[in-house]
Amino acid sequence: MTDLRSVRPYLLTLLLLLLLVVGCTQRRESLVVVMALLPGELPVVRSVLADFEQATGMEVQLVAQQYAEIRRAVAAEAAAGRGTIDLAEFDVYSLLPASRHMRPMEDVGTAEVLAALEAETVRAGRIDGLRFLPLRVSWQAMLYDHEVLGRAPATWAELLDVARRYPGRIGFKAALYEGATCDVLPLVWSAGGNGIDFEDEGAIAAFDFLAELAPFVDPHSATFKEATIAEALARRELVVEFNWPFAMALYESQGLAPGRLRSAPLPAGPAGRTTVLGGGYLGVPLHAPHPVAAQRLLSFLLSTEVQERLRRELGWFSARHDVPVGDTTGLLSGFAAMRAEVRPRPEIPGYPALSRAWQQAFRAVLLQGVAPREALRRAGQSFRPSAQGKR
Amino acid sequence: MISSRVAFWLVVPALVFLAIFLLYPTLVAVRLAFTDGASGVFPSLESFRVLAGDGLFHRALLGNLTLPLVAVTLELVAGLGLALLLSERLPARRLLRTAIILPFALPEIVFLTILRRVLEPHGYANGGFALAGLPGFDFLAPGSMSAFFSVAVVDAWRTTPVVFLILLGALAAIPGEIHEAARLDGARGWQRLRRITLPLLGPALVAALLLRGLDELRIFAAPLVLTGVEGVPVLSTYAYHQWADYDAIGPASAASLVLACLAVLASIPLIKRRIPA
Repeated sequence: MTDLRSVRPYLLTLLLLLLLVVGCTQRRESLVVVMALLPGELPVVRSVLADFEQATGMEVQLVAQQYAEIRRAVAAEAAAGRGTIDLAEFDVYSLLPASRHMRPMEDVGTAEVLAALEAETVRAGRIDGLRFLPLRVSWQAMLYDHEVLGRAPATWAELLDVARRYPGRIGFKAALYEGATCDVLPLVWSAGGNGIDFEDEGAIAAFDFLAELAPFVDPHSATFKEATIAEALARRELVVEFNWPFAMALYESQGLAPGRLRSAPLPAGPAGRTTVLGGGYLGVPLHAPHPVAAQRLLSFLLSTEVQERLRRELGWFSARHDVPVGDTTGLLSGFAAMRAEVRPRPEIPGYPALSRAWQQAFRAVLLQGVAPREALRRAGQSFRPSAQGKR
Repeated sequence: MISSRVAFWLVVPALVFLAIFLLYPTLVAVRLAFTDGASGVFPSLESFRVLAGDGLFHRALLGNLTLPLVAVTLELVAGLGLALLLSERLPARRLLRTAIILPFALPEIVFLTILRRVLEPHGYANGGFALAGLPGFDFLAPGSMSAFFSVAVVDAWRTTPVVFLILLGALAAIPGEIHEAARLDGARGWQRLRRITLPLLGPALVAALLLRGLDELRIFAAPLVLTGVEGVPVLSTYAYHQWADYDAIGPASAASLVLACLAVLASIPLIKRRIPA
């Protein structure tokens, strides 16, 4: 057996060497980026960030979190007066409440990037100055069971016909949350409404149509959110639903798409078809430790090369003019066909209150049998714009 | 015997822990409940005005009063029945005990997700009905009595083992001689249960009722996982909805405060009764 005393000098030397290596290693500047990513998206985004690290010599720590958690983390850092997050991703709905915790970007040299982005998507990030830029844009389309329907309903009349043929198998995301607003606003816009006035002709036409659909709608719509409605279509409880691109990626991973389940444009109403803008926007928090480097990373992520790569490898839609949607025949063809019909949500102070009023009216007509005009009148009364933020 | 000074210092860590993790968050929650989220004014009853005008809150309050009542009743009846059954010398008694305790041993979210898969419209239960040529049944239809009872039964099923174990222990502590003497005096099974077993189980039943009743007021995961917030609303899921879906911290704190008051009110008559040592 080896005598311990004989190896002790070697062990001590090794320990000293280790201490020297650790002590002499220079810590590189480290940026903390918080993004809302699915597990499948992480490797690609990490690889993109590795390219940035190689090009700049800066270290980037990527933290994947849900949008709500990111919003709370940034708010907590703002309240504390110091922070660790350099770059944070927010969903469109969170931009207004999060804006007061973010730095304005005008003065950091964003002109080149701004010129390359679609004006409507940039406008959504401009709240008391430019505070957010779109990393990826997204919008809703119709997802349907191709095996059952054969062809997707293209108009409201065809959707009503499908609903009558398959009672209880049309679903909406009608839980009390922002997702319900994302289902109802496209209907109102598609009938010519502006999404702010509850009793304009478009809103009345859209809610009259909803009242016709209501008897045939799955009652579980009352609790459906994005994930649960996607599951219901996969389980054949539904034949039609309205959802975001992630659902098609989910179906593809389950072997359900693009065979049985496919995407199609939202059915056209009397004034055409529209869909609601969503997606992820990046911003630099007020107390970011490395704001200039964060801005550099933001510009890198919005470059043509990176945006093209994210589109190719993750199917993300870019807000850049020079990165087309691509997929016009495959998994996301229904989404691609809606590209020109995307609209941002109403940009008014007190949008959350407006959104809740739409949700209440939507549920009243769809699930409680309230007459459309009565539901809209009540919504109009309940909506009290409050000065929660300025755009 | 330790001196009072030493005893004091032994208690200090627990007091500090409670002050940091219980008292401070409670005080912050109370402040948030009485703060107007839009203007930041404190004190304000704005959050309670929001609750008063919200139909979902009214349903949640009603749910919080009725759901625990039904679930705890089911738990006590099932727990007592199972404890009486398994206190007898049955074959495979240990296996049966393990089977009864299994739902409580599983992580709550796993158990509830399995049950959701069983009860949903195209779930295993309706699959079984279809195989048997029976019509389907919507166990989880939002806002229905079927969803209410599905949640109550599932929650009772998961927590019955707690009542079962408390009562099984109490049954084991009843001396066999008492039953033997009653039997010699001609008392039948039902009479022995009514005149001997139940009175002697009284303190354990009160303990089980106190433990489960108070815990059941805070019911959260079962209604949320099985039916979503709007399906069978209770105060905890309503508070979660206000916080997670609307970022409305004031109404969320106000709903939590209402729930806390309910729990305190419910505990007063129960605590007044003597709890067995």
